[in-house]
Amino acid sequence: MKRLTIMLVALALASAFAGAGAFAAGTEKVLTIGVDQEAVGLDPHIVTAFSSMRRIDLLYNRLVRLDDNLVVVPDLAESWDIPDNLTYVFHLRKGVKFHNGRELTAEDVKYSLNRVLDPKTASPGRSYISLIDSIDVIDKYTVKLHLSAPLASLLDGLTSDNLSIVPKEVVEANGNLQKVECGTGPFMLKEWVADNSMTLVKNPDYFEKGSPAVDKIIFRVIPEQASLLAGIKSGDIDFATINDGALIRQAARDPKVVVMSKPGLNMRIFSFNTTRKPFDDVRVREAFSLALNRSEILTIAEFGMGKPTGPLPVAATQWALPLSKLPYATPDLERAKRLLADAGYPNGFSFNLTCSSTYEGGLAVAQVAQDELKEIGVTANLEVVEWGAYIDKWVKRDYSTMIELRGGSGEPDRFLYRTFYSSGAVNNFLFKDAGVDKLLDQGRTQTSFAERKATYDKLQVLLSEKVPAVFLYCPNENQVLSTRLSGFKEIGNGSIWYLTYTKVSQ
Amino acid sequence: MTLKAIGKNSIAVTGIVIIGIYLLTIALSFFWLPFDPVKMDVDHLLEPPSLATGHLFGTDEFGRDILSRIMKGGFVSLVISLSATAMGATIGIAMGTWAGFLGGRWDHWLMRLADVLFSFPSLLLAIFVMAVLGEKTWNVIIAIGIVYIPQFARISRGAILGVKTNDFVRAARSNGASSSFILFRHLLPNIIVPIIVQISLSLSVAILLESSLSFLGLGVQPPAPSWGNMLSSARKVMVIAPWTAVYPGLAIVFLVLGFNLLGDGLRDLLDPRLRNLR
Amino acid sequence: MGRYIAKRLLSLIPVLFGVSVIVFFLVRLIPGSALQMYLGTQVEATPLQMEELKRIFGEDRPVPLLYAQWLGRLFQGDFGYSLRTGRPVLPDILQRFPISLELTILALIIALAIGIPQGILASLGRNPAGDVINRMIGLLGLSLPQFWLAALMVLLFSGFKGWIPMGNYVGFFEHPLRNLQMMLLPSFAIGVGLAAVIMRYTRNSMLEVLQMDYIRTAKAKGLKYRVVILRHALKNAILPVITVAGFNTGYLLGGAIVIEEVFALPGMGRLALYAIYQRDYPVIQGIVLVIAALFVLVNLATDLVYAIVDPRIRLDDAGRSA
Repeated sequence: MKRLTIMLVALALASAFAGAGAFAAGTEKVLTIGVDQEAVGLDPHIVTAFSSMRRIDLLYNRLVRLDDNLVVVPDLAESWDIPDNLTYVFHLRKGVKFHNGRELTAEDVKYSLNRVLDPKTASPGRSYISLIDSIDVIDKYTVKLHLSAPLASLLDGLTSDNLSIVPKEVVEANGNLQKVECGTGPFMLKEWVADNSMTLVKNPDYFEKGSPAVDKIIFRVIPEQASLLAGIKSGDIDFATINDGALIRQAARDPKVVVMSKPGLNMRIFSFNTTRKPFDDVRVREAFSLALNRSEILTIAEFGMGKPTGPLPVAATQWALPLSKLPYATPDLERAKRLLADAGYPNGFSFNLTCSSTYEGGLAVAQVAQDELKEIGVTANLEVVEWGAYIDKWVKRDYSTMIELRGGSGEPDRFLYRTFYSSGAVNNFLFKDAGVDKLLDQGRTQTSFAERKATYDKLQVLLSEKVPAVFLYCPNENQVLSTRLSGFKEIGNGSIWYLTYTKVSQ
Repeated sequence: MTLKAIGKNSIAVTGIVIIGIYLLTIALSFFWLPFDPVKMDVDHLLEPPSLATGHLFGTDEFGRDILSRIMKGGFVSLVISLSATAMGATIGIAMGTWAGFLGGRWDHWLMRLADVLFSFPSLLLAIFVMAVLGEKTWNVIIAIGIVYIPQFARISRGAILGVKTNDFVRAARSNGASSSFILFRHLLPNIIVPIIVQISLSLSVAILLESSLSFLGLGVQPPAPSWGNMLSSARKVMVIAPWTAVYPGLAIVFLVLGFNLLGDGLRDLLDPRLRNLR
Repeated sequence: MGRYIAKRLLSLIPVLFGVSVIVFFLVRLIPGSALQMYLGTQVEATPLQMEELKRIFGEDRPVPLLYAQWLGRLFQGDFGYSLRTGRPVLPDILQRFPISLELTILALIIALAIGIPQGILASLGRNPAGDVINRMIGLLGLSLPQFWLAALMVLLFSGFKGWIPMGNYVGFFEHPLRNLQMMLLPSFAIGVGLAAVIMRYTRNSMLEVLQMDYIRTAKAKGLKYRVVILRHALKNAILPVITVAGFNTGYLLGGAIVIEEVFALPGMGRLALYAIYQRDYPVIQGIVLVIAALFVLVNLATDLVYAIVDPRIRLDDAGRSA
């Protein structure tokens, strides 16, 4: 506990009576964002909460970042070389300043990556780069990473907010960065009133001249999604992420708001515990894959806001195979019943389907799935639990089947390896298949796109046959904007990085 | 108090009529419902109320008929309300009379326990219990019942203390009557009035508590309909389909009103201080 | 009086002790843990990392030991730190207290403003049919689920700027008018239900008082009807109303959980709710303790007010059982 004190407590938070900064001068360009959850903390290397990431997007930079087509592009690193599949050399931008005025150098990159790698930091970003075995500073603006084994997804991993570059002296002065901020990003933290608002101001020394285009960004915490939409309509807020299909549908009809929507990287899946009867039998799982109607689930549970998907998210266009090329992906009730009969369940069976009433917990999806599975004679008993209890079951793998929302990736290795490798960290299906493992290992070491593509094509087909989970759909990432805004782009991973280039008209 | 007296009290009568209508509707739901309350219909999602489609109260986001779900859910809500009140009343009255009658150390510790439970806001206490026990219909009953225990304990203890020192009790005691005889023959009948009033109040609050719990996602779980969980899922779609929230809400309002009217009417009739006023 | 207050304050200790024990052990019975919530479903941690995390989250020690440690620090005024945000617990609670307090006061004002006149009218019995309708309307207010009313209000008023807080809550002392504007609907959603309770007590109490001899005497002396009602009857009938108002204040201060949630008000109820959802044990422990203490203190204050208004009342333990 004492340690916790030292670790977590850095600065007293802004006083209760500090103003919310609502009275801006007329010429100042202010952009107000409505968010449904308060940020937990601001240390890029420690936080896991999505709500915190949305602030870190704008406060810090990474070596590389993703553009709106999910392509890795330069950020703090101007360019990079990959002499062999174990070595990466990054050439940093010159003249980049932290918000305390000090210039960023290769030493900061080394310090930041080492902080993430240090088990004591307990950083969630560690798994992205755990194969790094040495970090060498070549000169002030050049840093070399060496891997102990090939990792084709390294660059993609380095785009994670959890691998933001931070200044050593600020971490050391405060213990951590949960309450303070000192990044290189386009915006700087000005004020934080817990559970109410957070104000960021423009970084005048930002390395991309001319950006950002607004002077101030205010985050306001509004837990109700309906209130978020109402706020945009009334002009109280300019920008909000809304995942509620009903609201998006209503917003789309309103000329006063702009709706941006495209399939994101998250993936809704129906998971099996492959060690529990009857789901240890691949025929039962195949039958479920044939019985679940992906587009019907999508229509009801998400108001059609999304796209049916295979093992790789549809947004990863260069990798994902179309559903028509994947086995067991189109509904066929007769075949499903035959498979069940072959597996010894001609009269069906009943089982538990775990879900939660939060969005991630997929209660609506579970209800539709329950209804559809009746058609092949199996009875799903919904086990609806509160989110904390859901996580508990998830961690302990204490379930038969479960509705999940998985965070996918534009990089196949990044998503598939941890999810389906027999010892994968988030292989909750307890799924073991030598063929799958072999392809995953292979894809990780190959460097040419053509070779990797061939490997992952095979893997997608194999995963559709073995069905550790039924891949249902990728929900759209929806942003609702006021018509004052222009220039925003969605990446697909929820990031609001493009607010850096977003303009506000008065 | 006679039936005639109740009949004269228009407040109580209105309450009884409202509750009666609900009971009849719920009874009817066992034999007939307009639609299957759990069957989804992808072609009729969120349809507004209409005579033409037969969905008098419209459909929800799964295309299920809202009227049928309200009828079906009424049974769930009513069972929870009755069982939770029965549980809270039984345990609470036992605790309260026992403490009040025995006095001394028993009284002290039982009432301290009631104080502890009492100092939790009721919804918070119910949320706690639900979180520990898990979201099952039975647990909703237990959670609400636990909230009620200290309330019944206090009221019955207070009432017992009020009559314990009365002359007729002293007389019975000096005549050598046993404790349990005094308790059942003389004391319990005298606390029945405040208890009845409290019961009618508790029935109405239980409906509200169940719906609050379900609204927060901790109550009766889908696809079984309860009024609270109907409102909980309506919360997401009410901006485009207000009927999904309006009708289940009205169902709650009128049943709770019925219990409240009955409770207030009974209070008028039973409260000895008010009895002779009219 | 002084002795009585001291005695009541002393009796606070076992209650709060009981509350603290129940909460401390109960929250740890809830499935899941703060550490699991922190890690979520997307994060991988090595065994070495897990060990470190368990130490940070206090999951490496037995619960009774944790309780003893927590209690020890509590006596030094240290409520601990949030496992979720790392902020100290007590300042966080105190920061939210003014919001819950304001909500409570406004709701009480609304409830008294509606409930007392309604109760008086219902007690006069001059128009039986009107009485019944009057009471039914009052009871209708009591029958509205707060969250439903609140949700409907949000639906109806969301098009009008400033009425619904949009994460832009401002304190009363900062901007009184804007503050009152956004607190009005939430207070009203709470107030209408409470108004019915107030009405009920006012009516019953008035009915009793109106039977008293001195009122009859006053009437017989030819005093104006309005004077009799307001100056004499109401003055004496108000006591039970004070009690019930005080009692409800205690509960309301603990936070109107659903109202704060629907209206996005950063009050104590919402803090408690999220702490439970997040398994943020120190925050739950702290806030429940504070709420319980407030509840008991407000009840004590109510009893004292009662005694001051009516000197005939003797302060003793029996006074609380009503």
